[in-house]
Amino acid sequence: MTEIMMNSLNILAVGILLASLMAMTTPRMGQLIRIFTLQSLMLAGMAALVGYQTGSEHLYIIASIIVLLKVFIIPRFLNYSIERIKVKRELEPLLGIPGSLLLSAAIVVLAYFVTEPVISLTEVITRNCLAISLAVTLIGLLLMITRRKAMTEVIGLLMMENGLFLAVISTSHGMPLIVEMGIFFDVLVAVIIMGMFAFRINETFETSDTSILKRLRY
Amino acid sequence: MMVSLLLCTPLLFALFCALAPSNRWIGRLSLLGLGLVLIQVLDLSYGVIQNGPLDAGMWYIDDISVIFLLLMAVISFLVGIYALSYIGHELHEGVLTPRDSRFYHVFIQLFLFTMLLVLVVDSLGLMWIAIESTTLASAFLVGFYKKEESLEAAWKYIMICSVGIALALMGVTLMYASSLDVFGDSSRALDWSVLKGVAATLDPTLLKLSFIFIIAGYGTKAGLAPMHTWLPDAHSQAPSPVSAMMSALLLNCAMYGIIRFHVITEAAVPGFSSSLLLGFGLVSVAVAALFISITTDLKRMLAYSSIEHMGIVAIALGIGGTWGTVGAVIHIAAHSLTKSMLFLSAGDIVQKYGTRDIASITGVLKSIPWSGRFFTAGCLGIVGLPPFPIFLGEAIIVYAALQSGDFLVAALFLVLLLMVFVAFTYRFVPMLGGDSGLEPSPSPLSRLLPMGILLIMGLALGLVLPGPVLEFLQDVAAQIGGVL
Amino acid sequence: MDYSLFIISTLQFLALLVSAPAVVGLIRLLKARAQGRRGASLLQPYRDLRKLWRKDEQVSEDASWLFRVAPLISAASVILTTSMLPVLHVTVLGPGSDMILAIYILMLSRAMLVLSSLEGGSVFGGMGGSRDSMISVLIEPALLLSIFSLAALAGSTELSSTAQFISQGGYLIIGPTLILAAASFCITTLAENARLPFDNPATHLELTMVHEAMVLEYSGRSLALMEYSSWLKLTVFITILVNGFLPWGISSALDPLSLALASLAFIFKLILALGLIALLESQMAKMRLFRLPNLLTTSFTLALLALMAFYIL
Repeated sequence: MTEIMMNSLNILAVGILLASLMAMTTPRMGQLIRIFTLQSLMLAGMAALVGYQTGSEHLYIIASIIVLLKVFIIPRFLNYSIERIKVKRELEPLLGIPGSLLLSAAIVVLAYFVTEPVISLTEVITRNCLAISLAVTLIGLLLMITRRKAMTEVIGLLMMENGLFLAVISTSHGMPLIVEMGIFFDVLVAVIIMGMFAFRINETFETSDTSILKRLRY
Repeated sequence: MMVSLLLCTPLLFALFCALAPSNRWIGRLSLLGLGLVLIQVLDLSYGVIQNGPLDAGMWYIDDISVIFLLLMAVISFLVGIYALSYIGHELHEGVLTPRDSRFYHVFIQLFLFTMLLVLVVDSLGLMWIAIESTTLASAFLVGFYKKEESLEAAWKYIMICSVGIALALMGVTLMYASSLDVFGDSSRALDWSVLKGVAATLDPTLLKLSFIFIIAGYGTKAGLAPMHTWLPDAHSQAPSPVSAMMSALLLNCAMYGIIRFHVITEAAVPGFSSSLLLGFGLVSVAVAALFISITTDLKRMLAYSSIEHMGIVAIALGIGGTWGTVGAVIHIAAHSLTKSMLFLSAGDIVQKYGTRDIASITGVLKSIPWSGRFFTAGCLGIVGLPPFPIFLGEAIIVYAALQSGDFLVAALFLVLLLMVFVAFTYRFVPMLGGDSGLEPSPSPLSRLLPMGILLIMGLALGLVLPGPVLEFLQDVAAQIGGVL
Repeated sequence: MDYSLFIISTLQFLALLVSAPAVVGLIRLLKARAQGRRGASLLQPYRDLRKLWRKDEQVSEDASWLFRVAPLISAASVILTTSMLPVLHVTVLGPGSDMILAIYILMLSRAMLVLSSLEGGSVFGGMGGSRDSMISVLIEPALLLSIFSLAALAGSTELSSTAQFISQGGYLIIGPTLILAAASFCITTLAENARLPFDNPATHLELTMVHEAMVLEYSGRSLALMEYSSWLKLTVFITILVNGFLPWGISSALDPLSLALASLAFIFKLILALGLIALLESQMAKMRLFRLPNLLTTSFTLALLALMAFYIL
């Protein structure tokens, strides 16, 4: 039973990683948001599964909050934002798709390499999940660095956060509930504030391309 | 209970400011809130110093937090006094609307709330939430002027800091994972008061990994190079009182987070986190020295100097030992006092000259005599001349380095300080003398008073360093260093 | 006993050979249905072959003997590969079922195709050949890595052994390695067989075509051979996909019941795969040539991760 559970957790974790890699390959905003939604759904599934396995009820609460927040509210807000800013796709990523994919693969290798010496965790989780969460976080960062549109950067940040949640769920079966709640609240507020700034950037500069933000230097 | 009340005060006053029927009294209402916070913090601190750490449920206040709390309450109150006249002037000039001013006061209260929260919570997880909230609360203050540049600064600020903070969450998670090994499933497994006791038994590999993320994450927020890039933008674009608060208080909050994790990591893996801090510190000072010498913007120059001083604090923590820690604490206090005074006087200069361009500011001493004098004193202080407190901090740090046998670090540190000294002096001296052709105007008392108090407090710290204070500091150092 | 093994392996080999045109016919039919057309009958590819077989052959004056020989070698190599595949039963007729060998024998067919495309001296042929070589260079690492991860998982490069190992490995064998490697192999299957989004198999006269451009100069019996070997190659790849990566149902016993179950399972998986291809092809547009590396890098990354996941998990 636990073997099967472990295996399904592994598959879900790999699914989350795949979603991140897919996000690196698409220039379309709508697709990016759908990928993010899918990833969040898998994350929620993972939380519920770990909750089922360990019998800690608060993971169910976390799973349902993830579904509510990251599958419904935030994607809807993002869709609304891209509609309002009228941005459909990323025109020229700073790094081409093959390059960023290979870099992501390198990140995955690095993540496995870095978490390799962590042995004490083998009972709580598979190291695999820790490595994958690290990789998803760093790939989110890469997405933010290599793309230029304000909204893509926001999605990159959200994917980073999914990676972090994966780490939280898999390494420690969820932090204390109050901490988790606070984190969710912060994420929501952060996304809304970023959305507002993206609107303002769009209004002021008449583009949501953040590479024009180059006035301030030295 | 007392702590909850303290936290509620700025929240309530944010609400009052948002709902107040008339715009006229908002500034004073806001100041009243800051005053109440100051009184409560003084009371709390007295209690903690007398009776030892306050451990009440979610809250935990020990001597380390007291220092940061005191600095925060005092400086935010003084900046609040200054802001009355500053915002009043902008309103008068028509740069701001009454609505903007209300907005400013609401967000200042929220900002203060989040920063206080960082210092009083027990759980490292909640501390993470509080640090992230400081970014969210202050982002609108950075983008306050709604110009292109301030928008850019705010965007960079919120994106870079959010990414950094996200990385820090990974660090918190790993720390939690390591402590779960010891505690099992416990809701207190993230509480600092519990963690510091068992620090030595935590898993070293996880802690190492955790600290790398923490220093990358909170280090971003503290402005350590090379994650500092948001800092000069945000500090230069925010209104001067906000710049003062960010530089003197917000950076401290991030440093406070690093210190908490540093203590735990150092206990489990001696030498790991301190060498990381040392490295980041030296790089920060070097980068700051470079940029101070090439920037053309007054407030950016001050911002780079903040990077430099956060770097120095990191170096001091990295050197460690009792004296290194005392040096770090004194330096934090000295920098907060001096830098807030500098930003306030620079605010005066910028308002008077209507520009931040260093080359077009001359004759400061003639056109705004009193603020000019405070500015001069601040500059002399910030480059580390005696009798100002920063000199004391730096001297103790060098002493600590020599004592622990890190001669190379001491030498590097001195060379870098000299570079900063030359660069900074070269930039600020030409601004003082000469004639700007502007009509000299007296600064209002509400601006001079805060600067004066900050100067006096700084000098007191630098010159007298009263016996009890030093004793207290050594006590604190023992707390930070005691676990080491 | 030996005798029945020989019969069953011969039968499955022959069945693949015979059904190759039907496989392509089925894709076309399903695709037509997915697009709301009635579509041609399943037997249409057979009729096409018969028609081509009866026609006269035209050979360009500039073409050398290679032009004549290429279809033969190409068809022979694909047929040889076909003989190496376990379909219903894990035994094979051919020289073992080593997948690396099989892949490189298939490369021979591709090499012949590219060489012969230059023979006609037409611009189209050269263009098709050069594009095909580019795609093939990009496919090879991904293809081999996915095979390697399968081999690492099952401890053998023989398709017979991996099929046996995985189908008997129970639920736990379905892990990241298998999933990632299968995903990677799906992409390479499409690329290797010139399907959408890499190449449009339904076009004959477009500047963007790849495979059709290479066989443009052929006619009559040679064209029939060329077409047949490309269809057979698609069948080979799909068989590797379903029997290598999802081999459940394959039989290692010889009793009629398990063979019947195995054939049902194989037909079901085959139709499922063909349906997916048909669905994909009616949903997708052809990619621009210069965006092909994106997809192939994806495939490579997936295979790399699969291999890594195996060693680290």
